[in-house]
Amino acid sequence: MTRRALVTAVFGIAMMLARLAGADALDGVLEVRSAYVNIDKGVFLLHARVEYPVGPAIRTALQDGITLVFDLEARVERDRRFWFNSNIVDLTLRRELTYHAVSDRFVVRDVRSGDQLTFATLDEALDYLGRVDAWPILVEPQLDGGSYDISVRAGVRRGHLPTSLRAILFWTDDWARLSEWYTWSLPV
Amino acid sequence: MVTAGVKGRRPHGLRRVAVGQVLLWSFIGLGAFLLLAKSVQNSSQFGRYQLWILLIDICAVVALSVLIARKLWRLVRDYRAHVPGSRLTARTVGIFGGLVIAPLLIVYLSSLEFINVGIDSWFKVEVKQGLSDALGLSRAALDLRMREYSSRTQALAEALTGATPASVQSRLDAERRTSQALEVVLFAGHERILAASLENPLESLPSRLPPDLLRQVEQHAPYVSLEPQAGGRYLIRTAAALGDAGDRGEVRFVAAIYPVPAQLAALSEAVQSSYSQYGDLAALREPLKYSFRLTLTLVLLLAMLAAIYGAIYSAQHLVRPVQDLIEGTRAVGKGDFGTRLPLPSRDEMGFLVHSFNDMTKRLRRARAEATQSQQAVERERERLAIILARLSTGVLAIDRGMTVRTANEAAGAILGTDLSAATGRSLPELAASNERLGQFVAALAVRFAGGREEWREQLDLDGSAGRRTLMCACTPLPGEDSDMGFVIVFDDITALLQAQRDAAWGEVARRLAHEIKNPLTPIQLSAERLRRRLLEGMNERDAEILERGTRTIVQQVETMQQMVNAFSEYARAPEMHITRFSLNQLVTEVADLYRSQDPRTRIRLDLDGHIEAIEADRGRVRQILNNLVTNALEALDGIASPLLEISTRLEEGADAAYAAITVCDNGPGFQRELLGRVFDPYVTSKPKGTGLGLAIVKKIIEEHGGRIDADNRPEGGARVRVVLPVKDSTRSATGSARERRDQLRRERA
Repeated sequence: MTRRALVTAVFGIAMMLARLAGADALDGVLEVRSAYVNIDKGVFLLHARVEYPVGPAIRTALQDGITLVFDLEARVERDRRFWFNSNIVDLTLRRELTYHAVSDRFVVRDVRSGDQLTFATLDEALDYLGRVDAWPILVEPQLDGGSYDISVRAGVRRGHLPTSLRAILFWTDDWARLSEWYTWSLPV
Repeated sequence: MVTAGVKGRRPHGLRRVAVGQVLLWSFIGLGAFLLLAKSVQNSSQFGRYQLWILLIDICAVVALSVLIARKLWRLVRDYRAHVPGSRLTARTVGIFGGLVIAPLLIVYLSSLEFINVGIDSWFKVEVKQGLSDALGLSRAALDLRMREYSSRTQALAEALTGATPASVQSRLDAERRTSQALEVVLFAGHERILAASLENPLESLPSRLPPDLLRQVEQHAPYVSLEPQAGGRYLIRTAAALGDAGDRGEVRFVAAIYPVPAQLAALSEAVQSSYSQYGDLAALREPLKYSFRLTLTLVLLLAMLAAIYGAIYSAQHLVRPVQDLIEGTRAVGKGDFGTRLPLPSRDEMGFLVHSFNDMTKRLRRARAEATQSQQAVERERERLAIILARLSTGVLAIDRGMTVRTANEAAGAILGTDLSAATGRSLPELAASNERLGQFVAALAVRFAGGREEWREQLDLDGSAGRRTLMCACTPLPGEDSDMGFVIVFDDITALLQAQRDAAWGEVARRLAHEIKNPLTPIQLSAERLRRRLLEGMNERDAEILERGTRTIVQQVETMQQMVNAFSEYARAPEMHITRFSLNQLVTEVADLYRSQDPRTRIRLDLDGHIEAIEADRGRVRQILNNLVTNALEALDGIASPLLEISTRLEEGADAAYAAITVCDNGPGFQRELLGRVFDPYVTSKPKGTGLGLAIVKKIIEEHGGRIDADNRPEGGARVRVVLPVKDSTRSATGSARERRDQLRRERA
């Protein structure tokens, strides 16, 4: 078991306990509404529509200065009949949402590229975050026949958290949620 | 020996415990400090390992808890079972634990308070207010710029209203250069660009419009917004609708982007960054406290559990020699002197253990010596007991209360009672059922009452079996205790005295026979001669007197001759003619003879058929029977229904077989005072007897190697019992009476 797997397992348990406790600052629906891929010149492009929770608690927290991290995980697995599926692709699209107090605007920043957009309202920002279009996740040479499953999952958590506190906050942080996996077969 | 210099020093064990405690505290303090410092200063680096550190800490806490619970359970179990040293261990653990836990708790509570106060101080109202004020100031400064740019944009929109397309571009360029805008663009509808003036037209295109801008200008309202950019830059985007519509009837508006001066942008970005960081930290206020509390609690738990474990371990280590000493003392108390304790160290405890081992060694040696002495005494006592048992002399040890301490077999045999189980019992109590012992005890009591503790006297004890004469000597036992008692040594000298008497009487008889018998014949002859010579010349009256006198002389001389013959027979020792004959047949013959002589007396025989024949002098055995039967018949004279019983029995002795002849009658029996002397010469209760009959009988029996006893039957009448050896070889082995008499004479000489 790798460290990441261990952390994920502990994180999952903490999430479950947090849900059982009923305390959830991210009140509302978090789910992948729809998702599909199309192939453009040998590149598989992912399109997804995600509904993120929105509520006064999130708005207040953002205006108080915290940062929310929105993750979209995509995983492609090759089906195997007599063994566990093999993981072909495991990608995460990570974006941060912050409230810029000086400009009174909501800023969405792509963590990997550093690009950022500003929005006048939280709804516009969340709407932007919920629309993922043409995200390249796979190229054809990575596939060698057989059947493949693609899964998409969205997650929200509090960002800018010191790593040292992350373990402790497993059982106290209600600013972390994961959606169910949205899975379908990859059209090859 | 404990010297004065050693007293002031701390024991080695305690010193080690103290050093261990100091090291433990140092490590715990250093660890806690590192934990706190790293979590505050370099959280990202520490965070990589924090999960593992937490897991290790929790495992350590669990492991220590299990170890301590196990040790405490054992301690409680030993305490309840009163195991040696458990109470001392519990007390020591309590003291150590208290000394460790109390300061730990104080430090813990102080640290908690420090954490709460310290973290709360980060989020003071003044800080937040300062940030808000800075934010407001930044906004005000930027608002001024934004309003200025918005006014310019609105003025440009008014100027462009109704302007010809040819002049639009020049106006846009002029405005961009004048205002140092990055771009000034004229839109028609949503995103249709009618004209644009860009700072670098070859490198970039007009930027994409935000949706709120379009909504605003469609309503002919001016638009202005501040847009933060990557790298801490700020842009001011403005828009204003033109007064006229486009050729397609859509709204025409001009949009411009102005850069915020770098200094103002940097200051604003600094304010924004501080605000954001403060927000993040403020949100982490409680989790931070929780994190520090958890870390501190774990450190405290680890330190406390380690300290308790160390306290238990140290206490057990300290108490172990004491436990060994307690167990060793118990073993010594039970007599196990072989116990040797391991030396724990070279401190005072080690010295104590060494002294204990030395003590057990000395005790072991002393016990070995005592055991040897005891064995020697025991061997001596057994030797003495054997000697006492084999002694024919009676030995009796009693205390002043006349309780028997020791009595040998001979004492019991002489006193006629079994004294083998008499040790510890009172002598008067034992004497209650024994007449001879009673007289013996009475004789002792008289002498003790008179204050005589050391004496040597002859005691005569009368009993139904006759008189016994004891030569008795009493001596007080030596010793420190005043009640050591007495030892009484006594011999039964009855047989010795009898032998002495027999020897004396034999000598008397021999002298009488020799000295008296010789003059009797001349006396008788002289008397007869006097009668023959003088009788014829005397008158009738004188003749009658002479006749009567000489006849009396002759008769008395004959009587004296008979008596002298009897003495002569008693004194002489004729050759014995040993033959083998049937004893029962001889008894029957004698009985038949006396039945015919005295038909009035009933003579009953009880003969043992197992006696086939004995080897003895038949004539002298007949003489014995005649004497005994004659004595019995004379005793039965005048008895209403006289009965004489003669019985024979074959008795197996230790070395040979014996034939016992018992003659009983229902007459008056022996006089009590004569019982011990009936076999002495001249001892008789009959008016006409010479007193030599039973003496001769006894002499004949002793010459046969037998013995004779006389006593009275409980139902009345006399009983005489004769025991003769069946084989003549037995007589030869025991020796004849003459030989015994000769031996006695030699002893007296």
